[in-house]
Amino acid sequence: MARLNDDAQWIVLMGFLVSFSFFFLALVINQSTVVGQTTAESVIEFPKNDIRDVRSVIHQSLNVASPVFNDVESDIKIISMNRKSSVVNYSFFSAANATYIQIHYNNGVTEYNENWTIV
Amino acid sequence: MVAQHIVGLNDRGVSESIGFLLIFTIVIVGIGLVTLYGYPLLLKQQVSADEKIMEKNMIVLQNDVKSLAYKTVPYKETSMKIGSGSLSIYNSSHQPSFSNITISDSSGTIIYKFEPGEMRYESISAQTDISLQNGAVILRPRLSGGSVMLAEPRWFYDAPTQTMVINLINFTSEGIMAREGIGTIRMKMGDYNYTQLTPANPVTVIYTPNPSMDYSVAWDNYFMKIPGMAHDQPPGSGTPITYTLPPVNSLVIKTYEVKIESI
Repeated sequence: MARLNDDAQWIVLMGFLVSFSFFFLALVINQSTVVGQTTAESVIEFPKNDIRDVRSVIHQSLNVASPVFNDVESDIKIISMNRKSSVVNYSFFSAANATYIQIHYNNGVTEYNENWTIV
Repeated sequence: MVAQHIVGLNDRGVSESIGFLLIFTIVIVGIGLVTLYGYPLLLKQQVSADEKIMEKNMIVLQNDVKSLAYKTVPYKETSMKIGSGSLSIYNSSHQPSFSNITISDSSGTIIYKFEPGEMRYESISAQTDISLQNGAVILRPRLSGGSVMLAEPRWFYDAPTQTMVINLINFTSEGIMAREGIGTIRMKMGDYNYTQLTPANPVTVIYTPNPSMDYSVAWDNYFMKIPGMAHDQPPGSGTPITYTLPPVNSLVIKTYEVKIESI
């Protein structure tokens, strides 16, 4: 009876190894879409530029003379609510050689508070 | 001849055909077991995988709606595969409506019966519905009661300024549309309405579910997360539920219309 030639059994074993590694790779790739999506979402949703814009506008508004000042303040609040769906509130007071501004920003996802001192 | 038999292995009892039969039987039994038990399990896996993919797809669609509504993007389209079920759009004028929202303060009604409509994925074998409505993604088992919110809409209460922001989003389309398989969902920004007022407290939100398509449990869980919110009855009975908001100094209601061009 002819004997089996089993010199190449390692090919079969390698096949097993490769297929198992594909299996685990598939598991990892399957998870990565979820992770990528959530990360991308939170990066997009973070309102960094909105906050910067509001800060700079508030800073500019401090130079406005007093009768117009209240109008500018309410405009800032209304426009940021209308366009960006964000609640903006701020107050400030000037001491001897510095101005202190308290900014409150909230768009439902990110809440931001700042005590800003301008010397 | 005799010398050869002593040196080599004694294989006088070995039959090639019996060996073949044994191995063949094992293979056939193996195939049979896999077909009997493994294949249904595999199909089930496929259905639940399709459902998971659709959960993700619905969140992608919710992001599209968010871009249209909150980021003033005029137009969005997304291609996706809708497997093991169908995706349909029931617009806001569809009757009977699936739910409506009435907002009023103590001096009168501010929003009367806002009907959001919905985009719904109905899974054939898993018996679950995934619905995109009013900016939220909700999963609902069709036979048992209850529902769960997969992604939340953007309503919020800002405690320092006592501002309540309510975003209402409705879908409009030309009739009912449905899709199975690969398709492109195209949506466009429609009307936008903005109301800001100082209400006469207490402000109430009345959520009226449709008893046959009851998403009230998910919405109740979401509303009750807002600090200071109170409801008059537990959800799930199909009757209108009245929510009383915490003291509101400034009430902002934004209504957006999202036009579904095609599915």
